[in-house]
Amino acid sequence: MNLPISLPTLPNIPGLPPIPLPVLPPPFDVLIEFMQTSEFMEFAVELSLKLLVFPGLAFIMLYAMLAVWGERKLHARIHLRIGPYHVGPIFGLFQLVADGIKLLGKEIVTPERSHKFFYHLAPVLIMSLSMITLAFIPFFPVGPGEYWTIYYSEYSLLIILALFSLRPFIMIMAGWASNNKYTMMGAMRAAFQLLAYEVPLMLSMASVVILAGSFDLAKIVESQANMWFIVPCFLGFIVFFISTMAEICRRPLDIIVAEQEIVFGPWTEYTGMEYGLIMMSEYVDVAIASFLTSILFLGGWHGPGLHPLVWLLIKMGILSMFFMIGRSTWPRLRIDQLLDAGWRKLIPLALVQVFIAIVLVYVLKVIVV
Amino acid sequence: MPIRVAWGIQHPMSGHLTLYLDVDGDIVLNTEADVGYTHRGLEKIAEYRNFIQYVPVIERACDFDASNFALGYVRAVEALMGIEVPERAKYLRVIAAELSRIMSHLYAQALLSMTGGFETMTVWSANDRELILDLLERLSGARVTHTYIIPGGVRADIPKGFKEKAYDVLNYLERRIWDYYKMLFQNKTFQDRTMGVGVLSKQDAIELGITGPNLRASGVDFDVRRDDPYEAYDKLDFEVVVEKEGDSYARALVRFYEIAQSIKIIKQALKDLPEGPIRCKTPPMLPRGETYTRIESGRGELGVYIVGSGTNKPYRLKISAPSFRNLAGLVYLCRDIPMGDIPVIYYSLDILLLDVDR
Repeated sequence: MNLPISLPTLPNIPGLPPIPLPVLPPPFDVLIEFMQTSEFMEFAVELSLKLLVFPGLAFIMLYAMLAVWGERKLHARIHLRIGPYHVGPIFGLFQLVADGIKLLGKEIVTPERSHKFFYHLAPVLIMSLSMITLAFIPFFPVGPGEYWTIYYSEYSLLIILALFSLRPFIMIMAGWASNNKYTMMGAMRAAFQLLAYEVPLMLSMASVVILAGSFDLAKIVESQANMWFIVPCFLGFIVFFISTMAEICRRPLDIIVAEQEIVFGPWTEYTGMEYGLIMMSEYVDVAIASFLTSILFLGGWHGPGLHPLVWLLIKMGILSMFFMIGRSTWPRLRIDQLLDAGWRKLIPLALVQVFIAIVLVYVLKVIVV
Repeated sequence: MPIRVAWGIQHPMSGHLTLYLDVDGDIVLNTEADVGYTHRGLEKIAEYRNFIQYVPVIERACDFDASNFALGYVRAVEALMGIEVPERAKYLRVIAAELSRIMSHLYAQALLSMTGGFETMTVWSANDRELILDLLERLSGARVTHTYIIPGGVRADIPKGFKEKAYDVLNYLERRIWDYYKMLFQNKTFQDRTMGVGVLSKQDAIELGITGPNLRASGVDFDVRRDDPYEAYDKLDFEVVVEKEGDSYARALVRFYEIAQSIKIIKQALKDLPEGPIRCKTPPMLPRGETYTRIESGRGELGVYIVGSGTNKPYRLKISAPSFRNLAGLVYLCRDIPMGDIPVIYYSLDILLLDVDR
């Protein structure tokens, strides 16, 4: 073991046996050896590029800014209003910056009888969960068999699904820790909503997995080179879109945070930047849902002429708009109506889609896996 | 084990009313209403004011339907004095009252769509309400509390160009409300949220003393404007809208069709507007005696009971406010329903806390 810096030696105390130097346990000694190679530098540069620029911090910030601005402008147009206008160089583009500064200046209030640890943990956890999910999405190919992604896995779809399903548990935690009746109701609604959308979501993904023959998002995109999966899986696309909308709590299905009924659901008590984190995570979720929909059904980065990333971002931007437009075109559903729709309509549709996929692949052999 | 939730005052959708809900899971088992948070003693104030000074005060009992409330009070005063206002004033009063009714119904529609988070309809209705406010401003000089109707007649004649402007606005609104129909009443999600929610049967509605559009939505064919006509309503041609279902959707639909009927009434009134004086002289003192008059305000039947004492101040004034009567329906309906239906029922009954806590 040769370290770049020498560890200070411990002085021998007379009368006592000499204290041996602490030896690092096995994973760390390999790590320190790796850190001294030149591969590490390349790796570190690439990783920090991914973490800080795309798909990490800078991209998320930019996306959230544009998404909030775009959403507000879109609603304003539908409402026959003007929308944000004053902040920033053009058309109130810096509205989110102004909102962020305002939120930073606000006091973070802790309810007196809340569970302090879990209460302050929840917003951090929900934001990091959203960000972690981004790490498993491949964005564009950088070489044969290599993709621009933070962590490449053959089971990326399963991992993302697992991370998505964790969100309601954080909501339940926040709702319980806040010690408020409305937050408890919001938490219970989160649990109910999980029952409504999770099964159709998985089933609609299953049809895509059957067609592509893989859980790997990159492989799923590669197998759409000739035909986007929205063509054979149109029903699946609709089911996936609706259940994702329920997953990320967009307006017709934002039953968890129904403002007019239960104030702000599990997040009722949060103030200041904690509230900001929660809102931020909502927009990151919209980004993830749009990325996932375009990767699973709309051919991902495939498209003529432009750079693959540009194609992915165009598809993702249009899908984000569709995720947001529901807020100004439909009233909110009730929780029992969502459960009814989930189990009586979405699941049969998704099952039909799975059947179609199986027939296409294994009986007619139209699509070769 | 139900928990008791104070749904009110500090809730985004409650207004000044606290509803104590016994909630089990997501089901509301029982409801109690706690009114009086913004009680202003408007009935007591009347005993310390000259009867003409009280007209602006009673408009504060229901800001969103100000002219109808002023009309209710003024008619009580006139009935006590036994004076008959000139024909032209009657028609002008009808115009102001019907504009006020459209304003009130548009606001009710805005709030009902807000309960489902359907902000588009909220903003559209509020935008078009603005046109009515502009008309009323031309007519009376004030946007919300007009004090246009005073004992003896109206305060001012219609200004120059008002008729043309009014026809423009009403023609626009006549086309525009079908956009509402497409956007709100044919919206499947809105139908899902309101149809079959808060069903008030004909019998229950009569026994609870529900009034106004809510009563007509339950299938009771009653409208003070037609059945006990006042001002110029007996000379105008309009239909009373009645729906049978008695649910929140029917209540919203009755209001929607009443907007169309009000437009029809105002157009007729502007066409038939007779020439003549707009005011008559009133005695300076209220005579001894008592009287009760009723009118149909935007939210239902408004009754005013007044006792004169021979001075210029009423001895006692009692307002039977429509929203307060409809509140009985809210408490009755908010039992064994999902939590999400509370705001829908609340705003489909069009309860305005201003005139509950008068």
